[in-house]
Amino acid sequence: MHIPDGILPVSVAAAGFAGAGAVTWLSLRRIERTYPDPRAGVPRASLLTAVFFMASLVHVPVPPASVHLVLSGLMGVVLGWFAIPAILVGLFLQAVMFQHGGLTMLGVNACIIGLPALLANRVFALRRLLPARLATPGSAALAFLASFAAIAVGAAAAALLIVSTVPAHLDAAAERAATFTLLAAHVPLGVIEGVVTALVVLFLRRVDPGLLGEPRR
Amino acid sequence: MIARANPEAVRESSLTRWETRAKLIGLLCLVFAFASVRDTRLLAPMVLLSLAVFGLSALPARHLLSRLKVPGVFLVALAVVLPLFSGETVLAEAGPVALRLEGTLAFLSVAARFFSIVTLATVLFGTTPMPTLVRAMRSLGLPALLGDILLFTYRYIFQLAEDLHRARVAARLRGARFGSIRSVSTTAHIIGSLLVRSNWQAERVLAAMLLRGYGSARSLEVRRAPVARDVAALALCLALAAVFVLSPALIG
Repeated sequence: MHIPDGILPVSVAAAGFAGAGAVTWLSLRRIERTYPDPRAGVPRASLLTAVFFMASLVHVPVPPASVHLVLSGLMGVVLGWFAIPAILVGLFLQAVMFQHGGLTMLGVNACIIGLPALLANRVFALRRLLPARLATPGSAALAFLASFAAIAVGAAAAALLIVSTVPAHLDAAAERAATFTLLAAHVPLGVIEGVVTALVVLFLRRVDPGLLGEPRR
Repeated sequence: MIARANPEAVRESSLTRWETRAKLIGLLCLVFAFASVRDTRLLAPMVLLSLAVFGLSALPARHLLSRLKVPGVFLVALAVVLPLFSGETVLAEAGPVALRLEGTLAFLSVAARFFSIVTLATVLFGTTPMPTLVRAMRSLGLPALLGDILLFTYRYIFQLAEDLHRARVAARLRGARFGSIRSVSTTAHIIGSLLVRSNWQAERVLAAMLLRGYGSARSLEVRRAPVARDVAALALCLALAAVFVLSPALIG
């Protein structure tokens, strides 16, 4: 899902930076309003960003190949509005340290991974509407759905951007086939991310529910 | 194990001596100018210029090669799709497979931009320590919260890499097999326990940081002001970037 440097036109890169700038500004404003001292949240957000950064390097086998986790859904679920600066920082470090994504594509990648993370956060927040007896299975189901949706929306955005802007003379049938192939390749990743997120949410509910914004036992 | 953004032993060069803010602005302007190149006549000068900058940096060639490896996979996929499926002018044909001119040119254009941008990015981050770079970005207007998260994340990545490695070794010793699809559950529990431990650690880190005066203005100061040589190098970069952006319109 990380689009590398040099693939998309500079106008798309500029639009990506404008979009990422606007979303980051909005998230920083929300963080300032939500937390009495936003800088007190920095160590927590940084450590969790580092965990996500490391976890995204873990390869999970999907026969006959393997995929690396993106974890945008889990970031949205755990970090809320902090997910946007955390994803921006994570993408910057991935671009700098491994060339996953790229500097000119930082804004575009932040939009196609960050916005679905916020969507995942809203989907997961629906658990508050569930009755108490359904809280645990409902949280796991919503975590799966939130994470799957984050991957699906991000992959669809990346596929549409690449196919509609890269090839100069690709015919419509080839364009549709390429979009479908890119989307289909992300279905196993979406399922695996959904399962991982659901399992992590169940683990956190048992061990430290405070990380999910729930009262600590 | 993960590698740092800049190699352990960076040799002294004109790029390491260049004032960080001027270097950041100059090289990023060149990067975005390269990203805008669509004229095939500019591809060779662009690649040569990026190689010249890399030469000035005195970074080892294997450092650049290691940076090109991961995104190179994406480029290989484009190398198949574009020349074979994009365009109408057939250059060569073998049975049902045809090499097309437009697709080949589009691929060469993408590959040259990709190589040049990655090379300049490697030079920028390979010749500047991360804390110095973040300080320069802060003085150029990066929000404090983003700068702090960036620095702390970079600081803890290496410690967490060790923790993750230890957790995976421990799981393997207890019989977990990471080569199978069943490892998803083990992976999820490792991620969960890393999140919990890091959250607890964050509370102690915050207390220690506040005791050391976290947030004081002194830590944000830029350590060196640009001199004439730094400004001249920046002006040269801006002029070259302008040439790459404007030349297609000027030469027609």
